[in-house]
Amino acid sequence: MTTAGFILRNALRNKRRATLSVLSVAASLFLLVTLQSVLHEMTVPPSDVGAALRVIVRSKISLANPLPARQRAIIERIPGVEAVSPFSWFGGKYKDDEQMRFAQFGVDPKVLPILSPESRLTPQEYEAWAANRTACIVGRLTADLRKIKVGDRIPFTSTIYPCTLELTVAGIYSGTVDDANVFFHHKYLDEACGDDGMVGTWWVKVRSIDQMQPVVAAINKAFENTSAEVRAETERAFQLSFISMMGDTRKFIGWICAAVGLALLFVTASTMSMTIRERMRELAILKAVGYRLRELLLFILAESLSLAAAGALVGVGGAWLLYTHTKMAGFALALVCAGVFVWVVQMVRHRQYLGAVVTLLANGLLGLISLAVVTHGSLFKLSQGYIHYLHITPKIIGIATAVASVLGIAACLAPGWAVARLSVVRGLKTLD
Amino acid sequence: MSAQSIVTIRELSKVYRQGEINVVALNNISLDIAEGEFLALMGPSGSGKSTLLHIIAGVDRPTKGTCQVQGVEVTKLNESQLADWRNKNVGFVFQTFNLIPVLTAFENVELPLLLTRLNSKQRRQQVNTALELVGLADRGHHLPKQLSGGQEQRTAIARAIVTDPKLVIADEPTGNLDSGSAQEILNILQMLSQKLGKTVIMVTHDPKAAAFGSRSIHLEKGELTG
Repeated sequence: MTTAGFILRNALRNKRRATLSVLSVAASLFLLVTLQSVLHEMTVPPSDVGAALRVIVRSKISLANPLPARQRAIIERIPGVEAVSPFSWFGGKYKDDEQMRFAQFGVDPKVLPILSPESRLTPQEYEAWAANRTACIVGRLTADLRKIKVGDRIPFTSTIYPCTLELTVAGIYSGTVDDANVFFHHKYLDEACGDDGMVGTWWVKVRSIDQMQPVVAAINKAFENTSAEVRAETERAFQLSFISMMGDTRKFIGWICAAVGLALLFVTASTMSMTIRERMRELAILKAVGYRLRELLLFILAESLSLAAAGALVGVGGAWLLYTHTKMAGFALALVCAGVFVWVVQMVRHRQYLGAVVTLLANGLLGLISLAVVTHGSLFKLSQGYIHYLHITPKIIGIATAVASVLGIAACLAPGWAVARLSVVRGLKTLD
Repeated sequence: MSAQSIVTIRELSKVYRQGEINVVALNNISLDIAEGEFLALMGPSGSGKSTLLHIIAGVDRPTKGTCQVQGVEVTKLNESQLADWRNKNVGFVFQTFNLIPVLTAFENVELPLLLTRLNSKQRRQQVNTALELVGLADRGHHLPKQLSGGQEQRTAIARAIVTDPKLVIADEPTGNLDSGSAQEILNILQMLSQKLGKTVIMVTHDPKAAAFGSRSIHLEKGELTG
């Protein structure tokens, strides 16, 4: 036997308690990692490679204020500008959706390949779209989720514009960080809504990185002191400007994370205290045969950290697997269900009927979750289009690991103190 | 200290404070225990037998007096030194066996050796020797719950002697056993003293158990009598 083997044997002494402790740590860290990932996606949104050369031009007063279409010609003449397209957010609802689940944008199809070269569309699909004023292209994620295919007619009723658009799907695009949108001809929007000669924003492509700042400055200056002053900024800056509107949301998520951590601390501290209290006599025996306080404290710490580490592996590992390899996560969960079922059979053989029933019910729920994950196969489908990606960055893994480590240490402070104060004589008198 | 004494106690007292009341557990005890002796400590409940045993074993400290074991003044050692000293010099046998339930008999016996510098092969040899001495060579892989009371206590004795200590402390080792198992345990303790030269100090209520010892002493209200 080794010391490590002794520690492991103690940690698994009460398998049910150990399993529940690990699962509680795992569930909490899963939630923590998910919240941190959501926060990360909100505050550091993913960006296409081509975004570094793109500029968004909007009204200086407010994003809700439209811009006159005549500005296009002026922007196109600015040195360094490669292409300009109107970029109007339609805000339409799809079928019976109560909320808008994916965005629709009115653009100029002729310049989209220049503005967004990362978008992949077959030449036939592109030509079909460009040739038909009422056609649209749909992102791969939305097409898969909604089972939309080329040739489908889809109506959108806008919450902003006083019109409904009947769009024919000409192609399915992919290759961008947000393959969930719909792009249609801005001309169709103009016709449907009475062509008031306005656009939502301008989407501009700059020829090179060096020209980015001069182009932005030139666009802002071009419309200074006019009736439609603009605010031009890089696409990245535009994305990040939405973050400032979420100040309270970030704090809110932060508070939830802190509450999760605190609840987890109470659970693990309580479990460790109970575990050590039950073993006071054994610890007194170990002291009697020569184990020093530091060795006993190390045993307790190692046991506590082992449970925390196991929970972290399951929780953080499970989150990573679910968000990056969703289908595989579903299969892994199915394997766990199979293992739990074997455990249920063992319980029945040992006549632990109540435990078997409860475990079977829980396993049934786990099985349903596994089935849902496998059949949906992606986070986008699982969330019905609400969540595109969740990236578990190394920083998030580091935060979760640090939380688990702190928990493992903090959970053994109280029992460690009790052991430090334990005299062999008093410990031997402890009842089992 | 006489040339053959392994334990020398002079004017030893232990007083417990319980609120406003002082409870005198031991009152001015002086005692010599020879090496290789099998000493039975007898007396009624609350007479201070276990307290005296604990002080000799280094798990409790006296209020006054000295206790030397193999020339070492154990009352002057700090906790870390005492732990180290106990590991090398003292073996414990308790009334309630006190085996670790998740470890096999072999692993329970091996526990004190984890603190030494012995490698696994050397530890295995010593454990097997100890188990053979107590007649449990074929039970090493059993968990405590798979052993009878007598077998558990024999495992506890094996654990007590695996580090080859000079002193074996037994606190009512037959208290939880039937007469047959008790006899086995007492025979083993006697063998440790007579054949292996270990000094065995045993607390007992039972005069039949005390008869296995080479000497008996009586404690009453914290003082040696008779």
